[in-house]
Amino acid sequence: MAQITMKNIVKKYGDGFAAVNDVSLDVADGEFMILVGPSGCGKSTLLRMIVGLEDITSGDMMIGDERVNDKAPRDRDLAMVFQNYALYPHLSVFENIAFPLRLKKGVPQEEVKKKVEEAAATLELTEHLDRKPGNLSGGQRQRVAMGRAIVRDAKAFLFDEPLSNLDAKLRGQMRTEILRMQRRMGITTVYVTHDQTEAMTLGDRVALMKRGEFQQVGTPRELYEHPDNMFVAGFIGSPPMNFVPGTLSGSTLELPFVSVPLPEDMRRAVGDIDTVLVGIRPERFDDASVVDDSRRGTGVTFDAHVDVVEWLGNEQFAYIPYETAESMTDALDELERDLDSERLRSQLVVALDPGSDIRDGSSATIWFDPAAMHIFDPATGANLTGAASSRAGADAATVSSAEPAPTS
Amino acid sequence: MEGRRTSNWWTFWGVLILLWALFPLLWMVSLSFKSPETFRSETPTFFPKDWTWDNFTSVFDQDLFTSALRNSFGISILATLLSVVVAMFAAYAIARLDFPGKKVMLSLALAIAMFPQAALVGPLFDMWRNLGIYDTWIGLIIPYLTFALPLSIWTMSAFFRQIPWEMEQAAQVDGATSWQAFRKVIVPLAAPGVFTTAILTFFFCWNEFLLAASLTSTNAARTVPAALTFFTGDSQFQSPVTAIMAASVVVTIPIVIIVLAFQKRIVAGLTTGAVKG
Repeated sequence: MAQITMKNIVKKYGDGFAAVNDVSLDVADGEFMILVGPSGCGKSTLLRMIVGLEDITSGDMMIGDERVNDKAPRDRDLAMVFQNYALYPHLSVFENIAFPLRLKKGVPQEEVKKKVEEAAATLELTEHLDRKPGNLSGGQRQRVAMGRAIVRDAKAFLFDEPLSNLDAKLRGQMRTEILRMQRRMGITTVYVTHDQTEAMTLGDRVALMKRGEFQQVGTPRELYEHPDNMFVAGFIGSPPMNFVPGTLSGSTLELPFVSVPLPEDMRRAVGDIDTVLVGIRPERFDDASVVDDSRRGTGVTFDAHVDVVEWLGNEQFAYIPYETAESMTDALDELERDLDSERLRSQLVVALDPGSDIRDGSSATIWFDPAAMHIFDPATGANLTGAASSRAGADAATVSSAEPAPTS
Repeated sequence: MEGRRTSNWWTFWGVLILLWALFPLLWMVSLSFKSPETFRSETPTFFPKDWTWDNFTSVFDQDLFTSALRNSFGISILATLLSVVVAMFAAYAIARLDFPGKKVMLSLALAIAMFPQAALVGPLFDMWRNLGIYDTWIGLIIPYLTFALPLSIWTMSAFFRQIPWEMEQAAQVDGATSWQAFRKVIVPLAAPGVFTTAILTFFFCWNEFLLAASLTSTNAARTVPAALTFFTGDSQFQSPVTAIMAASVVVTIPIVIIVLAFQKRIVAGLTTGAVKG
């Protein structure tokens, strides 16, 4: 058990490319920390620097109170689950799990047997102990890899996209299993994924990365409700947030499909920028006909032509095309590239109540609450309203309480 | 219809090539069972009229053959072992490490493999005489290593490259030193590759003739391929051909056994199940 502290970690490759650029992060003892971001953002590199498979160009990597920059992986006492599991195909499941114990000197045979059987029992692998990894299903292999990690009482667990090779159903199942295991063992865990659902469901805290730098570190709720910038807002949430260009005239915000009176505090926060990008999550919209009257008054409604409706049982998504002003295309193009996503422009995704009877090709009245808008500066991407970092005191204090007092 | 016809063609060509390759072998076996007096009969037959083991007993009676057989086994096995061990380390380094001069080393190795052996016979003969290792086992093992190593290194590094690097990294995270990771994970996984290379090297040493004939002069180190040329009949009027054929059959047997025994081992993909599947 140990905390992991990263101070100004930099990873530069020979060609000068910085895969990880001046990153600092504290993972508290027993915390489940997620590193998430699009591919190539440096999250796996950072994980491999923690475990020692990648050299650290500069900065301090501390595990517990020890600086481990120059230590070999085997001296860091961390357990890692690899993306492709990296099981030893020539060894039985038993020997695979026992492998770390066999390498430690002076672990008696009975203890190895006892520990492996315990680990196998928690992971429901007992009946497979004599089989070779090649004969196991994907989920079973994944569990063997986890068995190899939990058998040795390591200081921390590291996961490198452990679920990305499983099918969707199994992925959900294993996700819960990993979470349950981590909660039971209370062990410090760093988990790398590119999947925002995994990040949201598993993490005590989530560190979202882009191009080797943290964009925001915080609880999943903070990232969802108070994204610091457009990238965070677009990455977290599924389907992703809608980004709509808006122009300010007085205290009215002109969107392509409706004019919204801007609440006073938002108006002040925006300052003197007159063109902005407005982010509204699909789930903040609703079919005006199913919104009850008490809420209806607080929001605005607009009429729209619904292109396509996707009904999923527990919810439905409506797609509403609209015209984008040319001035905003640059900012949106860049965001699309960063997020590896499809076109963000020109259509609004709206999550509707499953009881709503809006159909493909029909006209509908859509309702939303202006307080749920995030207003971004198109030049910098910064969230002008309600970013976690711009809000005073309270949130920042809760974040830093998990961290050790800074050493001067 | 079309598929059927193609597959028939394949069978036809396959059988043709098989016959082509097997005919000399069959002829060798057939001759080895003919008596030395009758193999040149007026009415030749492909198979012997009277099958006889005489040729085999006569070659095993000769010290020339038995000591050559001993030399062949000794030299081939030693050279193979040494070459595999050295090649294993070299190939691992080439597959996993980035060091200056790697390309040069590989190209040099290839150049050695392409170098005509005949050009080396003269210098080696002189050198070996001066060093006192002419007509000794070591005198053959050294040049065999030289010529076997490049091929071994190339084949094995190809095998090592196929083993996912994660295997080794996982072992290191699990607490293994580099040497432990190599010995407990990489070597077992590369076993098919090691076997393949070992067998190829053994064949090369076993069949090698030029150096064996030039760098030996007595039964002390003469291997079977070289010894075959020294066979004589029981008398000067008797042809040694059937005896040579019998000896050839005997030296072919170990090769056939090795291939049959390790065929599965060579082909088996041991790494199945290592990573996602």
